[in-house]
Amino acid sequence: MLKLTKELHNEIKVHGAASYPHEGCGLLLGHSDGESNVVVAARPLPNVWPVANEKPERFRIDPADWRDVELEAMDEGLDVVGIFHSHPDHPPVASPRDVAWAAFAGYSYLITQVVAGTPGLSRSWQLLPDRSGFVEEPIEEE
Amino acid sequence: MTTIRIPTPLRPYTGGNSAVAVSGATVGEALADLTRLHPQLRPHLYDGEELRSFVNVYLNKEDVRGLQGAQTAVAAADTLMIIPSIAGG
Repeated sequence: MLKLTKELHNEIKVHGAASYPHEGCGLLLGHSDGESNVVVAARPLPNVWPVANEKPERFRIDPADWRDVELEAMDEGLDVVGIFHSHPDHPPVASPRDVAWAAFAGYSYLITQVVAGTPGLSRSWQLLPDRSGFVEEPIEEE
Repeated sequence: MTTIRIPTPLRPYTGGNSAVAVSGATVGEALADLTRLHPQLRPHLYDGEELRSFVNVYLNKEDVRGLQGAQTAVAAADTLMIIPSIAGG
């Protein structure tokens, strides 16, 4: 399960809208208890996908940016517990590319749909341990 | 001993520890010691004998691929970080 506040969820949606028509992305910080990933902060990061005209349907996070966020989080007593990205004009469903290029299982993969620049529904996904696909996880807005 | 920082979702395989002290004179030896100490980590980090393509290793903030890769020397005061690459669409 992914837990986050309405304000944080809104922050993530606003970033998705601001990134439109490109995909926006970033990392979710908080704590993991094995059952839930509890998010207490979101860190938007640049979408560094190398081909500009593909950014409406691709994203990439620079590992060096992830490293810096990981170090900041450590200083704040937080952990990286997930990744968020937006799907401009597409449903918030994990795509085959999301599966192919995912990181470790156990992170929450939060996807927010943005339609014509307006953020809509978010859904969160967990990568199966054998990396064969994603299964949806509940989102609890606190 | 060199310290390896463990990504959050892999900590169930290190007894909940966010950092593990390992032996070894190189990055490759340090990672081998990590998976010797915590064998359940191995399938998450390796595909066969190679590190999975999305797994990056930083030595004191430097990507080891820009150094000497697995042959990069490590010292007791060094910290290795395992950082994933992620992309999608």
